[in-house]
Amino acid sequence: MELDKQLEKLITENEKSFYRLAYSYVKNQDDALDVVQEAIYKAFASIESLKNVDYIKTWFYRIIVNVSLDYIRKRKKELVNYDEYILSNDSGTEDHYSDIDLKQSLDSLPEKYKTIIILRFFEEMKLEEIAQVMDKNVNTIKTWLYKALRMLRISIDEERDVKNG
Amino acid sequence: MDKKLKQLKEDYMDIPIPDELDFKVKKAIKQGRKSMKAKDNKAKIRKGYIAAASVAAATVVLTVGVNVSPVLAKGLSDLPVLGGIIEVLTFREYKVDEKNYNADIKVPEIQGLENKELQNSLNEKYLNDSKALYEQFMEEMNELKEAGGGHLGLDNGYVVKTDTEKILSIGRYVVNTAASSSTTFRYDTIDKEKEILITLPILFKDDSYIDIISENIKSQMREQMKSDDSLIYWIEGDNNDFEGFDKISKEQSFYISPEGKLIIAFDKYEVAPGYMGNPEFTIPTEILTDLLMGDEYIK
Repeated sequence: MELDKQLEKLITENEKSFYRLAYSYVKNQDDALDVVQEAIYKAFASIESLKNVDYIKTWFYRIIVNVSLDYIRKRKKELVNYDEYILSNDSGTEDHYSDIDLKQSLDSLPEKYKTIIILRFFEEMKLEEIAQVMDKNVNTIKTWLYKALRMLRISIDEERDVKNG
Repeated sequence: MDKKLKQLKEDYMDIPIPDELDFKVKKAIKQGRKSMKAKDNKAKIRKGYIAAASVAAATVVLTVGVNVSPVLAKGLSDLPVLGGIIEVLTFREYKVDEKNYNADIKVPEIQGLENKELQNSLNEKYLNDSKALYEQFMEEMNELKEAGGGHLGLDNGYVVKTDTEKILSIGRYVVNTAASSSTTFRYDTIDKEKEILITLPILFKDDSYIDIISENIKSQMREQMKSDDSLIYWIEGDNNDFEGFDKISKEQSFYISPEGKLIIAFDKYEVAPGYMGNPEFTIPTEILTDLLMGDEYIK
């Protein structure tokens, strides 16, 4: 099968996964749709750069991650102002919703750790695949994964401690 | 699996999937494929133009002869030859104006060239491109309606970037305002005196312009990113994640500004993320002087 046909197949069969991944970064529907479309466009435009067809899946995941990060980077400036606004209106009391706490603890991780958790546990990728997506060696991924889990557990445990205490 | 991870995964899988995802994905694939083909075809199409342009050069002598005799000239063309006004007009307009579905297509037409071959080939291209867009729009609209509705917007038209005594630069744009916010520009630049289509290879002595212009663009990109970190360009080598901008193509999209500056234009997504729009770079004339065939166009 030709490369572009394989790409099309990969995308259409996994479009929901790609959307979820994009959404987990940009956090809103319009931007997530934009990211998916842009990644698709980008993938076709640079398909010659894909040297080995075996990597098509991880290659496309990498594009999704990169385009998502580009979006976040662009929005960061706007968000700084938004955060200031929120902080200045924060009454200081804490609301507790367990679901939101969990999600926030994932979102509170630095991007690379969050990416690893999503790819490893939600997209069920192998460590080698994650290494390809993130363009790092497997050992680095292992280290990061361990660290991510630790950070996650700690932050969740802390929440529980606060509530129980 | 760890209980917390399980919960996190459930939340993740619960991220709602918008109804239009499938449609937008298909559309993006279509567009992506088109850009792939466009890359392949660009060279072929432009080659055709150069052939047309060289025919033009060969017939100049003849048309000058025709011009001398207004009576004869009038017989050959129904346009008044007085002053030889070369201009761009809206030849035809297509409109779709329904709730959620809007298309506005303006087809330009170049008039007043003595070089009918060039004029016809450009006008034909303009009409065909717009027709294809219109048909595609109608097709997608019907698909969407069948699928239960959505939004579609298309704005296709043209801008005259430069219109001096010497040069006419016309840019045709396509804006998809709803399903995906893509904008593309296609430029044609005509030497109104010689009545030829100007291409990058015609402007320069040899291919060395490719590297020199590319390096200049890359340094402009880096400078811009340095001074404003919300700006992002993909540069080959600087960003190892996937293919970035390395070199302009031999037939890179360009136009000439009224001041005689060479402007290199990129499509959305070509060298930067979509939010960067359609990047354009003004190439300083100083770095081109030694490479140019002459100084009649670029100043």
